[in-house]
Amino acid sequence: MNVKSEASRNFSRRGFLGLTAAAAAVPLLAACGGGSSSSSSAGGAIKFWDMPWGTPAYNDAAKKLAESYVPTGSNGKASYQIIQWNNFYQTFSSAIASKTGPAVSTGGGFQAFQFEQQGQIAYADKVIDALKKNGQFDDFLPGVLEPFKTDKGYVAVPWQLDMRPLWYRKSLFDQAGVAVPTDWPSLLEAGKKLKSIGAVGFATGSGAGNNIGNHLMIMMMINNGGGVFTKDGQLDVMNDRNVEAIEFLLELVSNGVIDPAAVSYTTDNLDAQWKNKKAAFGMYVLGVPQRVGDTSGDLLVASPMAGPHGDKAALVFPNNIMMYKNTPSQESSEAFLTYYMGQLKSLWQQKLMNGLPVFKSITEIPEFAGDPNNVKIVKEYQPIAKTFAAQGTSLNANLAVLDGGQALNQFSQTILTGKTDAKSALQAFKTGLESVIKK
Amino acid sequence: MSSTTAPSGLARARRGLAPGGPGGGSRNRTDGLNRKSKLSGQTRRTFFWLLLPSIVLLVLINGYPLIYAGVQATHDGSLIDTGNFVGVDNFATVLSSPAFWKAAQFTLWFTIVGVFGSWLVGLGLALLLRTKIPAGGTFKVLLLLPWVVPIVVSSTAWNWLVATPDSLIPSIFRNLGLGTPLFLADPHLAAVMVMVFKVWVSFPFMMMMISAALASVDTTVYEAASMDGASKWQQFTQITLPMIARSTYISWILMTIFCVNDFPTIYLLTGGGPVDATTSLVVLAYRSVFQDFQTGPGVAIAFLMTLTLVVVSVFLYRQIRKSSVE
Repeated sequence: MNVKSEASRNFSRRGFLGLTAAAAAVPLLAACGGGSSSSSSAGGAIKFWDMPWGTPAYNDAAKKLAESYVPTGSNGKASYQIIQWNNFYQTFSSAIASKTGPAVSTGGGFQAFQFEQQGQIAYADKVIDALKKNGQFDDFLPGVLEPFKTDKGYVAVPWQLDMRPLWYRKSLFDQAGVAVPTDWPSLLEAGKKLKSIGAVGFATGSGAGNNIGNHLMIMMMINNGGGVFTKDGQLDVMNDRNVEAIEFLLELVSNGVIDPAAVSYTTDNLDAQWKNKKAAFGMYVLGVPQRVGDTSGDLLVASPMAGPHGDKAALVFPNNIMMYKNTPSQESSEAFLTYYMGQLKSLWQQKLMNGLPVFKSITEIPEFAGDPNNVKIVKEYQPIAKTFAAQGTSLNANLAVLDGGQALNQFSQTILTGKTDAKSALQAFKTGLESVIKK
Repeated sequence: MSSTTAPSGLARARRGLAPGGPGGGSRNRTDGLNRKSKLSGQTRRTFFWLLLPSIVLLVLINGYPLIYAGVQATHDGSLIDTGNFVGVDNFATVLSSPAFWKAAQFTLWFTIVGVFGSWLVGLGLALLLRTKIPAGGTFKVLLLLPWVVPIVVSSTAWNWLVATPDSLIPSIFRNLGLGTPLFLADPHLAAVMVMVFKVWVSFPFMMMMISAALASVDTTVYEAASMDGASKWQQFTQITLPMIARSTYISWILMTIFCVNDFPTIYLLTGGGPVDATTSLVVLAYRSVFQDFQTGPGVAIAFLMTLTLVVVSVFLYRQIRKSSVE
């Protein structure tokens, strides 16, 4: 005789194993599942997919721009769709694989090069030619187009710049009685004094979903004349300038200039540090005052620092608009993209953009130039800005693996914990990159 | 006081007073077999056609992704390009990777702590809720909150509690003169924190399972045991635990699967860091596929996880069968 309820007696082995197998298969299904795809919203129309680059008002305005497009001749109209950042690469990949993807899209900084590698991208040379004809080509800020030029043509067209400037909180520097750093030694000294008043001398974070720490590592390398790649695009992690930059970062960690908990800071934690007057200085995104809700004028852009050899460089991610081979008409895609590039100014006029414009004329409009931080970034950072491809200039698909991959994240977390030496950490970083980068 | 010893009396009480038993069970099974044998060919064909749509749906929903995953695991492609056939190279790469074994080790500890930690807390609270306590209903609802609240919300709340030196919990430690622990920045503490978070999120499930099992236990068994002189501890170990054993094993199996497959708890709180200290196998698989764009190794990890889960589940199921026979 046994103590078992009727329900449990009826719990059959086969039924249980079926349930178990179904539950156990979840990781498999998750790993191989495709993202959502979208069907065409208008027959023959150019499907334009756009990301949430700012507030919902941005997407409303962008949609209005796209849908206001009046094609000429036999060119098709444009339809607009927002694609969320969450698993965006999967969304694009599965849609492109099933031929339901966009004809034109914004997207990840290196996405165009990833899809170019797969043979899915339509080169934008004719759009560039059109921009030359309408005068917009000459309006591009210097060096903005170059990263997109390959032997086969322009992979995409830049439309905004995601810069990583240095910010500081003036009141904390006043309180500590120290000047804003202009080079690495002054950063170390200022950081020590800021620490003595309970402030963070070089704010960063590398916690869940936060790439700022990763970007800081690369920024310091290129700020010292180094970088992860050679000029011809070969991996060059172990160069002396990189070692020097990482040794300096480790010195900042060991002196407490970088917060000992920074390794776990999410962007929310970092925002809170800036908002709560804890962070005094650090590399962050554009528009920090608006982001953290402090537009009192206490949060300002600092001038770029000089490295120990006098080098100055900033990190930039040129966001771009790409065209795909899967389109109702390549001419229609090109005509729409040319039109859209001509409409960008209105987005900055409405103050909907977080990024820097790529056109000089937009940097001069009052809505943009009215913010002295914007002016400083355009004047001092944009001319010296380099991409993840540094010391090279051309972007490529491997940079996506560098930007979002495990190797850089693990490297930056290792540095921020401070329990390593520069060469060992860089060697592990190099090995990690070699295992995932396609030759 | 009974002349028999308490434990033997308890065993007798369990056998004698519990509802149902092998006699009834075997009778039911026999009836079932008779019914099965009596099915006519026509009935069977009808059953087949009725079941066919469900079977086709299941194959489409589960079978296709599984087969496609198999293809991906044996190729060196990406999300949109199948790539070249590489046989079992991806499995070999994964199995020879220190990162895989580190993640496997963390997954094992995460699962052990997650299953038994949540079970112990759930058991304690289920027993507590069985007694008459003031505002018991409200208490029950509050205890369910960790399970009910979306994980994004609870992970954010935990982050704010522990992430920075100025967060609430580190501040309490500092005020107590215990230093300022960096709960998410120290690799060891981060691993502990993720496990504690998992226990916190999961104990209401265990509590519900155990409460349901306890509700089916006939209180007269305890009365009989008391009359036999059993202490409260003896009643707990000799009656309560055996009577809820089947539910316990099932909850352990389910929680094992939940823990091994748990992505959001870890990813939202630590992202797998710092320095991979909290990277589980499912996080590693995600990173391989979606961050390193290495689809083959990522899916190979998922396959190995699935295989391990099936083996563990079958083993635990056999334990349930054994406990039923005993």
